[in-house]
Amino acid sequence: MINLNKGIRVSVRKGVVDMLPLSLAVLPWGILFGSIAVQRGFSWLEAQMFSAIIFGGAVQIVTVELIADNASLVTVLFTAFVISSRHFLYGLSLREKLSPQPLRWRLGLGFLLTDELFALSGHRRAYQGKLRLIYGLAAGGSFYLAWNLWTFIGIVAGASLPDLTDLGLDFAIAATFIALVVPEIKTLATLAAVITAAIFSLVFSLWELELGLVFAALLAMAAGFTVQQLRRPA
Amino acid sequence: MTVLTILLLACITFGTRYLFLEGRLPVRLGSNIKLFLSYSGPAVLTAITMPILFVHKHQLDTAVSNPYLWGALAAIAAAYKTANIYWTVGLGILAFTAASYLNL
Repeated sequence: MINLNKGIRVSVRKGVVDMLPLSLAVLPWGILFGSIAVQRGFSWLEAQMFSAIIFGGAVQIVTVELIADNASLVTVLFTAFVISSRHFLYGLSLREKLSPQPLRWRLGLGFLLTDELFALSGHRRAYQGKLRLIYGLAAGGSFYLAWNLWTFIGIVAGASLPDLTDLGLDFAIAATFIALVVPEIKTLATLAAVITAAIFSLVFSLWELELGLVFAALLAMAAGFTVQQLRRPA
Repeated sequence: MTVLTILLLACITFGTRYLFLEGRLPVRLGSNIKLFLSYSGPAVLTAITMPILFVHKHQLDTAVSNPYLWGALAAIAAAYKTANIYWTVGLGILAFTAASYLNL
């Protein structure tokens, strides 16, 4: 029992600490969101509700502007759906690991399944066993609390704070993702996937393609798959 | 009215996240699809990272004055040598900060 409690404490701490660079890196965006929402005429409660129940940075920042500009409900929902479509990829990738878990774990981790939590879900045995589930919950939950805290600061103090989004805090996201990707490049197929993703994500981003991230990822996965098939002994 | 829109948006973000985690959804992943999906981690993370590093104000920025370039090189080297998330983030941020100051 003592050992189990110790295991839980260690898992929680590791989840929170692994997520910490990402939780801190989104501070400028959380503040920006809270501040935009209030400036565009949303009440404090509505602004906080965005972060509390929608919980998706890009969706929130884009839709809050659309709603304030009186875009039609269909436009708002369709835009949110397009931005959220990458989640299908995350769900599919984690389906083998998470779909056999009890409902409350699926609901909780599903709600928390941001880009950031997906980034920390790459381990071969991710979500296998109670401690790894708790690790995911601590990582995702701590990110949720941070995002809502940054939103709150933006709501309360947004107008009096300078724009922090060009401070370079987003480099912490890049560094964390590099830390997660580089050690995974053990085969030519993975290298092909990474190079393909690198090239097409830049091209699509410069084209300002709304679905650029999803398309670049799909092309990269196809590249990895193809190289793996070609190298397999016949 | 706004609250209703927020609730609908929440259904979209949660629905897209949860859908494939539901075991009763009649989707069976064949071995080819599983292999394809096995590259999703590196693919998605690289696709998020590269524009952060090299697209600023809608322009490609690969100049040596771009501190993200130096931070990324340091992070890649650290990740390759240590395979440790803390060393990688720490050294990456150090190089990024140093490059930012030197270019001021």
